[in-house]
Amino acid sequence: MRDLAVTLAHGAGGKQTSELIDQVFKAHFANPALTADDAAVLTAPRGKMAMTTDGFIVSPSFFPGGNIGKLSICGTVNDLACMGARPLYLSCAFVIEEGFPMEKLEEIASAMEKTAKEAGVQIVSGDTKVAGKGQVDGVFITTTGVGEILEGVETSGAMAKPGDVVIVTGDVGRHGCTILLAREDFGIEADVTSDCAPLWGTVQDMLEVTKDIHVIRDATRGGVGTVLYEIAGQSGVGVQLDSTAVPVAPEVQGVCRMLGLEPLYLACEGRLVIVTPKEEADKVLEVLRKGKYSGNAAIIGEITAENPGRVIMTTEIGAQTVLPQPGGELLPRIC
Amino acid sequence: MAGQNISAREIITSYDGPKLRIMEVCGTHTHEIFRLGIRKLLPEQIELISGPGCPVCVTQVGFIDEAVMLALEYGATVCTFGDLVRVPGTEMSLAGARAKGARVQVVYSPLDAVTYAAEHPGEQVVFLSVGFETTTPASCLAVEQAAEQGLTNFSLLTANKTMPSAYHALKGSADVFLYPGHVNAITGTALCESLVDEDISGVVTGFTARELLTALAVAIKKSTEGKPFFVNAYPRVVTREGSVEAQALMERLLEPCDAEWRGLGVIPQSGVRLREAYAAYDARKKFQLPEIKGRGNPACRCGDVLQGKCKPSDCKVFGKVCTPQHPIGACMVSNEGACSAYYQYGGDFNA
Repeated sequence: MRDLAVTLAHGAGGKQTSELIDQVFKAHFANPALTADDAAVLTAPRGKMAMTTDGFIVSPSFFPGGNIGKLSICGTVNDLACMGARPLYLSCAFVIEEGFPMEKLEEIASAMEKTAKEAGVQIVSGDTKVAGKGQVDGVFITTTGVGEILEGVETSGAMAKPGDVVIVTGDVGRHGCTILLAREDFGIEADVTSDCAPLWGTVQDMLEVTKDIHVIRDATRGGVGTVLYEIAGQSGVGVQLDSTAVPVAPEVQGVCRMLGLEPLYLACEGRLVIVTPKEEADKVLEVLRKGKYSGNAAIIGEITAENPGRVIMTTEIGAQTVLPQPGGELLPRIC
Repeated sequence: MAGQNISAREIITSYDGPKLRIMEVCGTHTHEIFRLGIRKLLPEQIELISGPGCPVCVTQVGFIDEAVMLALEYGATVCTFGDLVRVPGTEMSLAGARAKGARVQVVYSPLDAVTYAAEHPGEQVVFLSVGFETTTPASCLAVEQAAEQGLTNFSLLTANKTMPSAYHALKGSADVFLYPGHVNAITGTALCESLVDEDISGVVTGFTARELLTALAVAIKKSTEGKPFFVNAYPRVVTREGSVEAQALMERLLEPCDAEWRGLGVIPQSGVRLREAYAAYDARKKFQLPEIKGRGNPACRCGDVLQGKCKPSDCKVFGKVCTPQHPIGACMVSNEGACSAYYQYGGDFNA
C-alpha cells in the first residue's frame, strides 16, 4: 500500500471501495458484529443506554500524542464514560480527501483499533466517502457510540450541590497547547504531548469505589474553565476555584505565559472534571491517583450556594477574582 | 522598622494615608492586576487607574480608516495583529472591510508579513505597525528584512508611539505611575529618572504577582515621604542603558513625529515614523494617502477611561451595547484594554 493514495474511485462503491474497506478498515476493526450487511445486528444491554455522536476535523490530523483516529475513538468513548456508561459499540464514518496517502489512513485505522481495544468497545459499522481535492482537508471522521449505563449510576451537569468537591483528573490544557504548537503559527517549540486518552477505565475504577458521583464531564473544547461554567449554569450553583491547585504542566504554563493564554480554557482530550460529595472525595482521589491516565488528579475547588452561575477564583496571591467567562475566540479545529 | 520584615502585601493593605492615585500605564499590567485580583486587596484610599498603555486602545480612529481605505480602495493586503481587526473605524472595522472582500491577514509578527509579501509578489502588503518601544523594533527589523530581500511590495502603516511624552500629557491624572517594564527594558531608565525633576513619580514594574505587589508597595511607601521619586523595581530585566541594539535600530530607521492618541489628542513628538530614506516602505507616502480625520462613536468614553477621568463602568454603553463580542470602543477590544478587563473580571460577587 506504500506510496498509494485514496482516489475518487475508492469512494464510488465498486471494487476499489471494497478493497479499501477490506484492506484498511476490516483488517483493523474485525469483530463478529462487523459484517458486510447493511446494518450491524446487536444484542441490547439490559439496563439504560447512553448514545452519543461526535465529528472530528482536527488540524493537523497527526500531532504529538495521537492522531485524528485515536481522537475519534477517545472523544466518543469519553462522552459515554461521562454518563457512567460502559462503551459497547461504535460506528465510524470517514470523509477522505482525494489524494490522501493510504499509508496515513492505515496509521489512523491502526490507532483506532488500538484505542478501541483499550476502551473495550467494538466498531460495528462504518462508512467511507471520498471528496474531491480541496473539498475536505485530509480526513474527517464521525463516530457514534452506544454504551450501557452501570446500574445505580446517575450523573448530570445539573446535579452539582453546594458543598460538593470539584476534582480534575490531571494537568490541564495539553491537547489545545499541542495543536497550537503543531500548527507552527507562532514559531515556538516546546515538548508538549496531547493528553488524548480513552477514559472508560478511569471512570470504571472510580465507580467501583463509589456510585455517588454527581457530575462527570470531559473537558474538551473550551477546556476545564468552560466545563465549570456549564456546571455552574446547569446546576444553578457557584464554583469556588483554587487557581493554585489546578495542575498545569510547566511546558504548557510556559507556552501560555508567552502567548497570554489561560490554560483553563485550552482543550483537553483525556481529562475529566468530577463533582462528588465531600465524603467521597478522598476515596475517589485515591483511586484516581492509581490510574493510568489520572495520576495527577487533584481537588481544585468546591461547589457553593453563593454566586450561582459564576466561577470565583482564589488567585496565586490569595485574592478573589472572577474567572472570565469563556470567550468566543477559541482555536478552531481543535478536535 | 529596622530588623522588622514587613511584606509588600502588608504595606499595601495597611495603608491609611491620604488618597493616592496610581496609574498602571501598561495594558499587560492592567490585565495581570485584574487576573490576580490585586484591586480587591487595595484599601479605599488607593485608586488604581488603567492608563493608555495598550497599543490597540490608544490607536486613533483615523488609523483604522486609513487601513480600511488601503484594503478596500487601493486593493492592498493588510497584515495586522488580530486585535486591530475588530477595532471600529469611522465607517467600519477591518473585519467589516474583510466582509466586503478586502484582504486582511492576521499575523503574529511583522516578520510574518514580510514572509507573506515574499510569497505573494502580486499583492501590495501593508503591515499595521502599532505599539510602543517594545514592538517598534520588530517593525524596523521587518523593513530591513524587506529591503535586504529587495521586496517592493511591502510597507508599514505606522502609528507607533513613544512613552515618555505621554507621561507629560498625563501628569495631572495620577500621583504615581507604574512604568511599563517591557518598554523600559528597551529604552532604559534615564528618561523616567529625569521625570523626577518635573515632579513626576514612578516605579518601573515587572509582570509577576510578586513584582506587581512589590512595585505597588514601593509606590505607596515612597509617596508617604512626600518627594517625587523614581525606583526601578524590575532590575532583573531593566537596566539604566536598556537595549542599545534596539535603540540603534530604531534610530537608524525612524524619526520622531507628532502623534494622535485616542483620548489624549495630538501629543507633540510622541510618535515615530520612517525616515525619508525609507519612504518606499512608508504606506502613507507610497500610496499617497489623503489625510483622514476619524470620528469615533460619540457615546464611547474610551478617551476619558484612558486618562483615568472615568471608570469603564461609568460609560453609558459599557457592558450594554459595548461588550467584547460587540465592541464600540477600542478599550473593549483588546484583552489588555481597561474596559475589557473590567468586563471580564469585574462585577460584584460574594468573596
